[in-house]
Amino acid sequence: MDPTTTSPPTKARRSSGRWGDLVFLGLVSAGGLFVIFLLFGIAAILIDQSRLAFNAYGVGYLVGTRWDVSAQVYGAVPFIAGTLITSAIALAIGFPLAFGSALFLTTQAPRWLRGPVGTVIELLAAIPSVVYGFWGLYFLGPYMRTSVEPVLHRYLGWTGGFNGNATGTDILTAGVILAIMVIPTISAISRETLAAVPTSQKEAALSLGATNWEVTRTAMIPYARSGVFGATILGLGRALGETMAVTMTIGNHDAVPTSFFSQGQTIASLIANELTNSAGPLQYSAIIYAGVILLAISLLVNVVARLLLWRVLRVSGGSVE
Amino acid sequence: MKRQTSRTPLYALLAVVVIVIIVVAAGYYAGWFKGSSSNSSPGTCAPPAGGTIKGAGSTLVYPLMFQWESVYGGGTAVNYESVGSGAGITDFTQKTVDFGASDAPLSPAQRTALPATALTIPESAGGVVPLYNLPGVPTLSFNGTILADIYLGTITNWNNTALQTLNAGVSLPNATIQVVYRSDGSGTTFIWTSYLSAESSTWASMYGKGTSVTFPVGSGQPKNAGVAGYVQKTQDAIGYVDLNYALNSGVAFGKVENPAGKYILASVNNTQSALKDVNPTLPTGTGDWYNVSVLNAPGVTDYPITSLTYVFAYQDLSGAYGGSYTLTQAETLVDFLYWVVTTGQGYSGTLYYVPLPASIVTADEASIASITFNGQAVPNTCGSTV
Repeated sequence: MDPTTTSPPTKARRSSGRWGDLVFLGLVSAGGLFVIFLLFGIAAILIDQSRLAFNAYGVGYLVGTRWDVSAQVYGAVPFIAGTLITSAIALAIGFPLAFGSALFLTTQAPRWLRGPVGTVIELLAAIPSVVYGFWGLYFLGPYMRTSVEPVLHRYLGWTGGFNGNATGTDILTAGVILAIMVIPTISAISRETLAAVPTSQKEAALSLGATNWEVTRTAMIPYARSGVFGATILGLGRALGETMAVTMTIGNHDAVPTSFFSQGQTIASLIANELTNSAGPLQYSAIIYAGVILLAISLLVNVVARLLLWRVLRVSGGSVE
Repeated sequence: MKRQTSRTPLYALLAVVVIVIIVVAAGYYAGWFKGSSSNSSPGTCAPPAGGTIKGAGSTLVYPLMFQWESVYGGGTAVNYESVGSGAGITDFTQKTVDFGASDAPLSPAQRTALPATALTIPESAGGVVPLYNLPGVPTLSFNGTILADIYLGTITNWNNTALQTLNAGVSLPNATIQVVYRSDGSGTTFIWTSYLSAESSTWASMYGKGTSVTFPVGSGQPKNAGVAGYVQKTQDAIGYVDLNYALNSGVAFGKVENPAGKYILASVNNTQSALKDVNPTLPTGTGDWYNVSVLNAPGVTDYPITSLTYVFAYQDLSGAYGGSYTLTQAETLVDFLYWVVTTGQGYSGTLYYVPLPASIVTADEASIASITFNGQAVPNTCGSTV
């Protein structure tokens, strides 16, 4: 950055070059340390602001199933459940599509198709989440209500998970929206790890007479497995924290969901909906406490994902994102 | 790697488009495109030169506040952020704004949290209406008990006997009622739940009134637009929105029974007459306004679900904000408040807000006159001479 560091090595310039190095070192390490400080700062503020609720409920908050603003009783189970269930639906629907597309692009698609299709999948990530939410509210929700949910109820109603009033703004719709939103993340990183499988590995399988499918199954998937797993966990991280699209489609009801057709609330949508207009310091603090839980879950998920990806990509020297 | 190089121009283009959109949007909010306001202030009063004040709060009152802020003082004196009533009260309590705005009065707890004595000044009024989506069904009539039962979840079907009795001759469908409420804390919810509390002792004891209430049934949608949009899209749905929103967006809504036993379709006129007729005994500006109710006006033509919306300002400005607060700021604030409760009321009608009745304006003027700076009344150009 500092132009003097690239100057010709005259004696006077060289000493200013050393100063440049020092300034550069100072700036860069200040930047790096500040980012770390930010993370701790955010966590510290959140924990501090959640103290009131923590003192009132302690760890019992994590198992409290009732959230009642009028009675000033707060428990996090409705939101933890909403968050985990919608994310699980997202992965259950999103993973097969994303992994399938990654396999298609790395093993089956003609070379000229790979770039365009890959770009289009990644473009899904460029759509703002409010647009997904809008689409979910005005198209997907009504469609789920009139066409999908009655069918699910008829054939799967006996499981108990697909009962109740089909409204189209519920846990299931939010999960489907999230599935679409996690596809680009999972697909892109899965492709990276599949592409990182050494050619020697594939050639070895081919030389043993393996078919295309057998090469994929025996040489590529085992090699890329933990990378794909890491990609899935990263997708999970995105699903856990997604706010706008979920808020617009989940129904925002502060109760533990009893079926996939229940209205619910995730921790992120709870914060979006109720924080700025909380009815008092205890509710405010309880919402922040939920935020701390979300932060903890997200950090854990991301650390696991990074570790898994690091193990795979270290070998091939590839890079993630 | 080759793939990525070929994609770079596309990404660059995308990035440029996104950045342009962000900058334009930010600029819009920063007021780049406001231009010089062509319609000058209709009153005689004008803010002192260079004075700017900040307000924050209610989204319900935002369209009207936006009009006020763009007209008053040529559009540069007031900066209002519609962050929501609750956030507005928080900002006001933390003294980061000159006035707060909320559709619900300060609760006793919020009052004790204030750092100094504050004035509660009603600055506009409105109504809340029930809207529903039943294709082919003419305008329905509701009463308080039925609305409370629907929101309690004790009436779950449109062909419920009580509802059918009230709407004799209308063929109501055998369909589950899809209840919708505001998911974000809102003044509209405060007005709605105040009404349900007044009409149903069950509602009052189990859920009460508040800007943020845990509803027993239904789904939550953010903002008036979210509720109205959901109801319009969803057959068999029922929701509640502000009258000005309903009238502006043209969504159909139902009649509500008033205490005189008449079924009234809300309008600006019958909401205004309700405010006149209900004639609430108002506390002083510094008093407790939490239980002020303008619901259920007695007049035959009055609409029953009505409410005031409020701004809050500190009474002793120099005492509350400390030494850095300037006299110019104080003058601008007092001027603006006077202007809002007098000349500003003239902007209500076109935006479907309800102008304040004279009795409330008088009370407001007395409150504003009690604002002091360094122990002195604040000089202004808009006061009682207007």
